[in-house]
Amino acid sequence: MNSKPTSHNNRLGLRGWVYAGKYTFERYLYLAHRLTGMGLIAYMILHIIETANRMRGVEAWQGLMGLFASWPFKIIEYLLFAAAVFHALNGVRLMMTELGFFLGKPKEPVYPYSSSIKRHRPLTYIIMALAGLIIILGGSSLFFP
Amino acid sequence: MRETRLWSWHLLVIPIIIVLLGLHFAVMHYAPVFYGISVEKAREFETMIERGKSVTQLVLYILLLAAALYHGLYGLRGIIRELPMSPALGKIVDYSVIGLGLFIFAFGTYVTWWTYSFKIGG
Amino acid sequence: MSDKTTTPREITFRVRRFDPDLDSAPHWSEYRLHVHDGMTVLEALHQLKAQQEPTLSWRSSCRMGVCGSCGMFINDLPQLACQTQVLHLGTDVVSIAPLPNYDNVKDLVPDLAPLIEKHAAVKPYIIYLDQIEIDEPSGEFLQTPDQREEFSQFTHCIKCGLCLAACPTVATDPLFLGPQALAQAYRYTADNRDCGMKERLSAIDIFHGPYQCHLAGACSQACPKGVDPAFGIQLLKRALVLDSIGFGKKKSSVAKIMPLADVVKQLEEFAPPPRTV
Repeated sequence: MNSKPTSHNNRLGLRGWVYAGKYTFERYLYLAHRLTGMGLIAYMILHIIETANRMRGVEAWQGLMGLFASWPFKIIEYLLFAAAVFHALNGVRLMMTELGFFLGKPKEPVYPYSSSIKRHRPLTYIIMALAGLIIILGGSSLFFP
Repeated sequence: MRETRLWSWHLLVIPIIIVLLGLHFAVMHYAPVFYGISVEKAREFETMIERGKSVTQLVLYILLLAAALYHGLYGLRGIIRELPMSPALGKIVDYSVIGLGLFIFAFGTYVTWWTYSFKIGG
Repeated sequence: MSDKTTTPREITFRVRRFDPDLDSAPHWSEYRLHVHDGMTVLEALHQLKAQQEPTLSWRSSCRMGVCGSCGMFINDLPQLACQTQVLHLGTDVVSIAPLPNYDNVKDLVPDLAPLIEKHAAVKPYIIYLDQIEIDEPSGEFLQTPDQREEFSQFTHCIKCGLCLAACPTVATDPLFLGPQALAQAYRYTADNRDCGMKERLSAIDIFHGPYQCHLAGACSQACPKGVDPAFGIQLLKRALVLDSIGFGKKKSSVAKIMPLADVVKQLEEFAPPPRTV
């Protein structure tokens, strides 16, 4: 009996989320949105557990706040802030476009083809510029109060 | 229509999160601007308890908790279930995420209520 | 410096080979071929097969970009081999692999059965108010050019499968309907002759449906016919949300029928003048 496979599984798997070909940057915005989302959920759950330390009394609370005021945590806090700003602003873009707004109108395709992705690229650039600005301003207020 | 409704709520809670999380950031990081106290003072135990005693804070925190948990855990459920799995395992993932969400919501609501009803000095 | 995209020269073709009867895993083979301006990847494959590697296998048919058979992963992008000119790729090494996210049957041949099954699952045909009118038409559906334009671009799908090869969700989730099926679900939903949203719901309002599209946009980039399936999926989401809150297509807005007698009368109005010879 021939035990060789009759076909080869060519599914990309998790690698397909990260790099699957020479696609445009919107695909990487999808990846960044996914990564920041997972980071934010993990943080949110930890944050709820950590702030519940208030129930252990003043000393426990002050100790925790002292720890979070130290530099490694300030960096983590800034990265979280950056992740939240990116995720929120990209999320606003996705909320609007996934309901069909800012994508133009269906039209008979004429070569060279346009696409809804290209048509809403100006919006994408504005959102990314805004996110970058807020992240830089936030950083300057955190590190240079 | 189940998936459509679940996804619609995932979108509907976004403005709630943006507004309430924005307020939360403002309270914690821009305390000098909004409350005239330093960031360190804003994080002190007594200040935190004082803030937690308002009914508005109680309601808004619970609302933010519910909205953020729903939005985040719907996303997490989507990411996990996009991995190859049987329909049975998919159902287990769904129920686990719901269970986790309810547990954290209950815990967070309890902590918020504890703060609201806490009496400084005993 | 000569233009890399037009200068005829020797090109190295890195082709992924897999023979299920001989190989346990795919491997790469290299061939060199002199390429002239205008030569497509498909023509290059034919030459390689004729002159160097008779066992090389792939799928192709029309060689003019309308049948959708020759989809391949060329220089890290899913493309139709007949529509890709070798020199326009601009590289001295051209890599050719079978489409990702499909089982690889042999060499450059993907198993497109999942694509066809998912397409069939969304009921890709007009579902009218009564089936008798579809089976035994009594006249002509009335549809204005504007109503046609609402979904016309999505009718150009040639089922080549490049979009599923590009989609990050298809990469991990074998049950995800994919850009092709979902865009076709929208094509029929948006058609004013169709009122089959309810019949299609069980196929599309599922976890593996449109809500697992996260607008990565790779499908629209890969599509060789300008169908823009990503656009179709977002419009489908909007249609589903509207339908869920009671603002879906009403039966009264479905296309009316012009009786055959009136159609004939209209045709007679535009009949040619009587013959003079």
